[in-house]
Amino acid sequence: MSSLAVPQTEPVAGSTPGTAQGRPPLRRRIALIPTVTLLLGALYCLLPVAWVVIAATKSGRELFSTFTFLPGTGFAGNVRDLNAYRDGVYWQWMANSALYAGLGALLSTCVSAISGYALAIYRFRGRETLFNVLLAGVLMPPVILAVPQYLLLAKADLTDSYLSVLLPQILFPYGVYLARIYAAAAVPADVIEAGRMDGGSEWRIFTRIALPMMIPGMVTVFLFQFVAIWNNFLLPYIMLSDDEKFPITLGLFTLLEQGANTPALYTLVITGALLAVLPLVALFLVIQRFWSLDLLSGAVKS
Amino acid sequence: MPYTKRRRLVRTAVAIALGATTLAACGSQSADGDTESGPASLTYWTWTPGMDKVVDLWNKGPGKKDRITVTVKKQASGDTLVTKILTAHKAGKAPDLVQAEYQALPTLVSNDALADISKNAGEAEGKFADGVWQQTTLGTDAVYAVPQDIGPMMFYYREDLFKKYGLTVPTTWDEFAETARKLKKAAPEKDLTTFSANDSGLFAGLAQQAGAKWWTTSGDRWKVAINDAATQKVAKFWGGLVKEGAIDNQPMYTPAWNKALNTGKQIAWVSAVWAPGTLTTAAPDTKGKWAMAPLPQWSASDNSTGSWGGSSTAVTTDSEHRAAAAKFAAWLNTDSEALNALAKESGIYPAATNAQTSGAFLKPPAYFANQADFYTKAADIAETTAPSAWGPNVNVAYTTFKDAFGAAAKSKSDFGAALDEMQADTVADMKKQGFEVAE
Amino acid sequence: MKSTARRRSYGVKGAPYAFLVPATVLFALFFALPIGYAVWLSFRKVQVSGLGLGSGARKEVWAGLENYTDALSDSELLHGTLRVLGYGCIVVPVMLGLALLFALMLDSEKVRLAPVTRLAIFLPYAIPGVVAALLWGFLYLPDVSPFYFVLDRLGMPQPDLLDGGPLFLALSNIAVWGGTGFNMIVIYTSLQAIPAEVYEAAKLDGATPLQIALRIKIPMVSPSLVLTFFFSIIATLQVFNEPTTLKPLTNSVSTTWSPLMKVHRDAFGEGDIHGAAAQAVIIAFATLLLSFGFLRAANRRQKQEAAR
Repeated sequence: MSSLAVPQTEPVAGSTPGTAQGRPPLRRRIALIPTVTLLLGALYCLLPVAWVVIAATKSGRELFSTFTFLPGTGFAGNVRDLNAYRDGVYWQWMANSALYAGLGALLSTCVSAISGYALAIYRFRGRETLFNVLLAGVLMPPVILAVPQYLLLAKADLTDSYLSVLLPQILFPYGVYLARIYAAAAVPADVIEAGRMDGGSEWRIFTRIALPMMIPGMVTVFLFQFVAIWNNFLLPYIMLSDDEKFPITLGLFTLLEQGANTPALYTLVITGALLAVLPLVALFLVIQRFWSLDLLSGAVKS
Repeated sequence: MPYTKRRRLVRTAVAIALGATTLAACGSQSADGDTESGPASLTYWTWTPGMDKVVDLWNKGPGKKDRITVTVKKQASGDTLVTKILTAHKAGKAPDLVQAEYQALPTLVSNDALADISKNAGEAEGKFADGVWQQTTLGTDAVYAVPQDIGPMMFYYREDLFKKYGLTVPTTWDEFAETARKLKKAAPEKDLTTFSANDSGLFAGLAQQAGAKWWTTSGDRWKVAINDAATQKVAKFWGGLVKEGAIDNQPMYTPAWNKALNTGKQIAWVSAVWAPGTLTTAAPDTKGKWAMAPLPQWSASDNSTGSWGGSSTAVTTDSEHRAAAAKFAAWLNTDSEALNALAKESGIYPAATNAQTSGAFLKPPAYFANQADFYTKAADIAETTAPSAWGPNVNVAYTTFKDAFGAAAKSKSDFGAALDEMQADTVADMKKQGFEVAE
Repeated sequence: MKSTARRRSYGVKGAPYAFLVPATVLFALFFALPIGYAVWLSFRKVQVSGLGLGSGARKEVWAGLENYTDALSDSELLHGTLRVLGYGCIVVPVMLGLALLFALMLDSEKVRLAPVTRLAIFLPYAIPGVVAALLWGFLYLPDVSPFYFVLDRLGMPQPDLLDGGPLFLALSNIAVWGGTGFNMIVIYTSLQAIPAEVYEAAKLDGATPLQIALRIKIPMVSPSLVLTFFFSIIATLQVFNEPTTLKPLTNSVSTTWSPLMKVHRDAFGEGDIHGAAAQAVIIAFATLLLSFGFLRAANRRQKQEAAR
């Protein structure tokens, strides 16, 4: 196993990344090529998503009979049906997903941040080995891990509980990798040294100085893990048997697989999926703001 | 994400609210000398929609009296549920009661997941047709489940379009082929139907009608006859139609298939008693234009059908209250009140024979309002269901079917070769596992 | 003074280990233990006796390497691997190329509508697989697709997307559509971490945005590129969602189209957890060799460049 190079980009303290100062005024117009490229990319990505939006407005009757991109008239009816299904269990699934993904991603981000920071900043025996081993966790396909995880959690009497879905998803090797890269790039060694000179404990240096610098990276980790848990299907499928504890993906799956004797079947799934994407959009909009945070604000202060 | 669009669940379009709660006769289950006493709390894995409401009747009625409470845990149907049950069983955590399709019973029994409930539910036998009941005993003295719903196969067709193109309803498969050709000639862009390789249950049902017995036992050995003469006849028939282009070769349950049914591009469907439910979703614009007839026969003198779908209620070996669970399973599938509620809340077509022509089934499904005797006819057809013969690795045969027949349908090549592959893979898997297989 | 210094140095030495305790414990419990269990399962098998009915008919016994020899001699697994490699050759370059392009565009100056387009490009990542199958059914199947409708109106030929060569493109398109946003954000976030001073000088020298992108930005984000490449290779070898999505729509995608689909079929469709575990171990091992081999090569190259 080779070691993974994490280059030390040393940011210069006091700079404001991403913003340029003193630009010649004559270039103050819209950058045409980038804007157009991005719009084309957005169009490519949105076209199929638009289908979900439009399909959610169609009644069961319109879904298969009207032109694909022609909006229908059944959105309110679909939402009403979704509300009525099994006394509103859909909203229970939403709440469960929010809990699994929110809490899971938060814990996951904390673990990633602290591990990535430790791996990036300190020189210690076994560092690369430990890192590579953690990373190798992604190599085992989740399909095959789910069954052993179930059997092991069954021994601890934890199956069919919220914990059985939450616990296995806290460690996120990809997040550790990202956190290490960001910590290496965004937390300069001299800032840490300065902190030590001031007599701060290692924990204090991490929480007060390094962590604020790592925020944009950690926000990304949070977002990825949130979406990954939100969309995870196999683990909850194996672990849970009580549909009051189901996350939204599993709930939609049961809607689709209970048979077609409920005529509103497809429309429920599509409408349910559209509503399930909305919290992710909201999360994304909130998170976007953190990406442009001044990376080195912490360093400037100290 | 594992995701299949299969819907083998037996269903009917009994979405109609039941006006009359008939069937007051036919008293509920008798006390069966069950010595087990004390309260029992049971969990039940099922995918049937509305089952919680049916179970409420039990919890408030007979269950309250016997202090047996049942909790429904709603599941998704499909192939993976068997694995989920087996995984739970491996950890000793399977629920007390599970819903299981008939063809999954040998697999579950072979894994020692299902309890023998002949002592507590054996007397329910009289309420079911022999061929249905036999699937739950696997030909032994034990009883591993109580039948819940069945899916006798039938022929569905667009009455109006048959008239338009001068077609008559085929009573034999030869006539069926002629009908397909005649339609192709009259309207080349239309198809009578499609041969879909994405649902193994359909093919298994067609083979069953032809008299195939895929798994049988003699002494301590299994005999596998997936490529027996009867099944070969079925495979060659459909392969021939696909090859000459008389019917389509694309899978069912896709948006394109829905549209083909809805717009009359495909004008017939070989399906089962639950088809009205599917058609309601797939072809809403053609409501009232379809009609149902018995499945075509292999010879004019025959009268039999296969089954596609259907499931049973079983008690697991992990249950600490097997007697209580069996009592519930028997009540659920034989008690008139329960069956009525199952029809109303879940829209299932009951396995219990006396329920098939009463209660919810006095009126045709809304989609078939034009065919007043829909359920009388259906019950008659159900009676002609040929016996089925399932083995311990139906799942392997089924997955091989999808791949081998999918490829053959795509290339319009020999279905016989695909069938041989299915036989070879199934036998190889059984041998690998250590089953005694007779050559 | 002396004692505090010593204590602090102990603190510094002990800190990384303390910081890594949560990750290590979680790894041991939810990765190492289940992986070990899976490996153990892969050396065992179920032995049935007689008809296999009734209790005691099934025993779990030691299988040695039998599951492995079976897996390695299974031609379907090999074919699946070849299919997946062909698929990866399309997906990885296109997806990462687009992700890098979009990330650079987002990072360029005075670009308009960046937050909106960023969200739009990321959005497909959030569509659950259950819905994706229906969605692509509506877009790919000739009878219901608006694109075929347009082609038909224009009198242009209508290719069968779900067969032969176009099938690979159809599958790749789903992966590119779903994965570009994710990788774009990884690259974009690391572009954000580059201080402006780094290219301020180049700008003053009159370098064009293109030159800055090629000579400064791309080399600076190369660790992220290595990272996304590494994970894309793993994701490609473990491809499961895209073919599973298209499977119900066509006869051309078998249940064993990709190695992981075969693992899934064997474990969940056919109930052979032991054989599936052996195949999973083989896939994991192959992925390990390939991805770490790639990382080693990337490292060496980086060191050579640094030496120059």
